[in-house]
Amino acid sequence: MKKIVTTSAITLVLLFAGSSLLAQKFEQPVLISSAGQSADVKLVKMLAQRQGLDATTILMAKPADLKGFKSLVIVPGFSSKGLGAAGVSQQEEYERVESLIKAANDLKIPIILMHIGGNARRKGQSDSFNQIVADNSKYMLVVRQGDEDGFFSAISKSKNIPLTLVDKIAETAEPLGNLFK
Amino acid sequence: MRKSTFNLIILLAFVINTGINAQPVYPTTGKNGMVATAHPLASSAAIEMLQGGGNAVDAAVAAAFAIGVVEPDGSGLGGGGGMVIYLNDEKQSYFINYYGRSSERATEAGFRYGHDNSTALAIEVPGTVAGLIMAHETFGTLPLKQVMEPAIRHAEEGFPVDQTLAKLILDNIEKVMGDSATGSVFLNDGFPLMEGEILVQKDLGRVLRIIAEEGSKGFYDGALAKSFVDGIRARGGVLTEKDFLSYKAEMTVPLKGTYRGYDILTANIPQSGISLIQGLNMLENFDLRASGHYSESARTLHIMAEVDKLIYADRYQYLGDPDFVDVPVAGLTSKEYALERFSSINQSKLDPPRYRDAEYGNPRVFQQKKEKILVHEMEPADGHTTHLSVIDKNGNAVALTQTLGLFFGSGQTVSGVLFNNALTNFSYNSENVNYLQNGKRCRTSITPTIILKDGNPFMVLGSPGAGRIISTMIELVVNVIDFGMDVNDANIAPRFYCQKFEDYLHVESGIKPEVRAELELMGHQVKVYEGIDLFFGGAQMISVDPLTGVFSGSADKRRGGIAIGY
Repeated sequence: MKKIVTTSAITLVLLFAGSSLLAQKFEQPVLISSAGQSADVKLVKMLAQRQGLDATTILMAKPADLKGFKSLVIVPGFSSKGLGAAGVSQQEEYERVESLIKAANDLKIPIILMHIGGNARRKGQSDSFNQIVADNSKYMLVVRQGDEDGFFSAISKSKNIPLTLVDKIAETAEPLGNLFK
Repeated sequence: MRKSTFNLIILLAFVINTGINAQPVYPTTGKNGMVATAHPLASSAAIEMLQGGGNAVDAAVAAAFAIGVVEPDGSGLGGGGGMVIYLNDEKQSYFINYYGRSSERATEAGFRYGHDNSTALAIEVPGTVAGLIMAHETFGTLPLKQVMEPAIRHAEEGFPVDQTLAKLILDNIEKVMGDSATGSVFLNDGFPLMEGEILVQKDLGRVLRIIAEEGSKGFYDGALAKSFVDGIRARGGVLTEKDFLSYKAEMTVPLKGTYRGYDILTANIPQSGISLIQGLNMLENFDLRASGHYSESARTLHIMAEVDKLIYADRYQYLGDPDFVDVPVAGLTSKEYALERFSSINQSKLDPPRYRDAEYGNPRVFQQKKEKILVHEMEPADGHTTHLSVIDKNGNAVALTQTLGLFFGSGQTVSGVLFNNALTNFSYNSENVNYLQNGKRCRTSITPTIILKDGNPFMVLGSPGAGRIISTMIELVVNVIDFGMDVNDANIAPRFYCQKFEDYLHVESGIKPEVRAELELMGHQVKVYEGIDLFFGGAQMISVDPLTGVFSGSADKRRGGIAIGY
């Protein structure tokens, strides 16, 4: 099963990556942040640790926090509980993410989207975060359930952004680690 | 075969209604029975009982055990709750308080609110099993084993995780991962179960079988209770075997009130039906219909929000365990006191300008004429949450709300049972009536309610949602009674929430932008939630057409429930 997943992932990468994949390199250290304050970012932190990445997690990262980092992983997904804990509104969170992405682009720090929450982080209030992060990413790593309607595949295709789809959250670890090898 | 076919239909409805391409849930109608719960398999458990010749109590108990399995984040054997029962033939009503009780050693534990919320220190003696068994033994007609069979089946055979549960596991991942026994239930390969994956709870199934065989005794006395105590104490908690052995659910009468010609039967103290009655009494002094629906009229919403603020202020000041404190029930529920409180509202602006400056009133002045309220008169003599509503063909009705405290309770699973964190419901201000004491019941927001018209059930309703429950309940009632909505429209209507201990007026985006703007001008700080949001609860409602007797049910789209009638 794992082999099938890897094969399909590679297929998708080859389909949509184009020349940008070959040109794109991801380097450490890595800043991990949230877009929407879902708890998913904590799982990504764990995945990064398991892969031995030199990664720092700042849930509410601001442009100034990018200093010293060479890659930015953003985990999109809306959580009213998370926003409440952070003490910010959805609009304020969106504006923070927008400014973080703009700063990363200005500094030429590549953005990796990691969407691991499946249906639970699609539609509703999540998709505005999914959209802005996907549109600005250089690579997308997505648990397949979150792409059942082709949301990420379509962005990947139209913007020539490599996309890796896996079946389970645990299966994102290896491709995440491979991005930095 | 019949059961399999029926479950197939239910699961099909489940897929249609909870998938990523979710369709609106329309009210179901029926004349033989109706149930609304937060999960299709719990609703189907109740319908199984009704179709098998059981009454509303059999159905409610079956659904309550089942919901603890298929919606394990919100309630279960390790939690507690309350239930209002109306027996239509006898025109008698009952209230069973089966909320937890703090340990005889609770104050020794040094529980710190916030810091210890997801630890064994937060656990109260759970009451769910005692309450459900009491209801079944007193009013049920089917064998307990039959009533519990759906819950056992879903625990042992598993069921697909729905979108709500998948999201809640993700949202509470640190709590779920914090206890290895809890993680072993909700994680797969070390990561959260996702929508569509099968959740099997073999250990929970074993406990359910023991209860089905031995009743309450099997849970509160003997080897199982000892294993709970050992497990909880190994995790730092203080519950004792005596705590379990001495726990009793309490059967009393519901708290009663009226609203515009309807009779309200609701959860008695220290649960929060008293605040519902007080709020409705206050709103009787205002022509809501003439003022317009709160989603379209800033004045209506402002006045309702001010009512919320005042009843929450009174609730904080006066509501506690009647075994420990003197609650001025008659005063708080008197129409005269409501008029006095309503008259204090400035109808054109927020006054005082901060919600937190709202003052509590003095209901004791209005105590005199109903001093002998039936809080402790037993009928019969011995006697974060989910809600379910049931009615049977004879008009017997049950409104039942139960909880683990916050989602996934304490996060501590012992012998297959996920335990509550209901100690979070106590006040840690030693001056407050709800201050933690040993063996005390906490104040809780749950408000299961049955509304009668001319002695017959008219509505059966309730909601989870912690502090939002009371405001949501008031909105549901006025949506039906004042604004003439059917239960589905009332349920899906935008909601708002405000109280003394909030800095914002929380509103769903269905409250019109111009209304929100006007509210800001009145002094409110408005916090908007796009679309509909689980924050505002997940109401399960049934209504009965007084002319035709037809039942209509509505499960809240904010939560993945379903109403089924036949």
